[in-house]
Amino acid sequence: MIKKLPINCPSCEKSLVVSQLSCSSCETVISGNYSLPILLQLSSEDQDFIFEFILSSGSLKKIATKMGKSYPTVRNKLDDIIERINHLQKI
Amino acid sequence: MKIILFKPFEKYSEKTLLLVGIIITLIGSFVAYTFNTRFDGVVDVHSVTDVLLYQALLDNLINIFCLILFLFISAKYINKKTRLIDILTTSMVARTPIYLLPFFNINGAISKAGENILQFANEGFTNQISSSDLSIIIVFGFITILFSVWYISLLFNGFKVASNAKGKFPIILFIISLILSEVLSKIIIFQLN
Repeated sequence: MIKKLPINCPSCEKSLVVSQLSCSSCETVISGNYSLPILLQLSSEDQDFIFEFILSSGSLKKIATKMGKSYPTVRNKLDDIIERINHLQKI
Repeated sequence: MKIILFKPFEKYSEKTLLLVGIIITLIGSFVAYTFNTRFDGVVDVHSVTDVLLYQALLDNLINIFCLILFLFISAKYINKKTRLIDILTTSMVARTPIYLLPFFNINGAISKAGENILQFANEGFTNQISSSDLSIIIVFGFITILFSVWYISLLFNGFKVASNAKGKFPIILFIISLILSEVLSKIIIFQLN
């Protein structure tokens, strides 16, 4: 099972920050207060889309064929992600 | 099934939709010619005594043109990335339910029922209107409403996908575009007759 990275607090729904990182090899633990990169703050669906977008060399037509969706549907999805990224950058 | 009936624009490529749209327009024109029907406006279906094949085709082309004109202007206003091809396929494919309506007028049953009712109503003998005529008109009226809702929802879904429309403002623009398309198509078709 792939664990889903929580990005929002289940209690107050505010964005979570990284407070601890650990090395799985030597068990070194780093504590601090790091904000999540913008891409990780997107939903897993949006992240999968961006992943597909890169793998398709940025061709929306290729993604549309792969996803079985029309070109405008895929373009709208990309526009919505851009809008969300712009919003996250302003926060 | 729901996607094919109401949201084909989300799934199918513009090439597929364009091909389907052209075939549907040609079939729709032939249906109008066969069943003596005029699509004399964007949201109009009327039974007539006679219609020529070129008139039926011209009616549909004018209706499609008017829809494209106003929907494309509105869609471009909402989203500059809107493509003409998406509005074109929407305007053609969404008209499918309208083209199915003449099939219900087999042997002119609905036209005859309508004429009978009007005749009795005009002469003031409303109590002599037969229940069968009335039933035919009520059932056809109900079917027409259902098919009109199907037509408009297809048109709106296509418009929404083409322009990435969100919120209430695009709905208002869509309604205005539809009304303007209806008015312009009526004027053009009337002028050409």
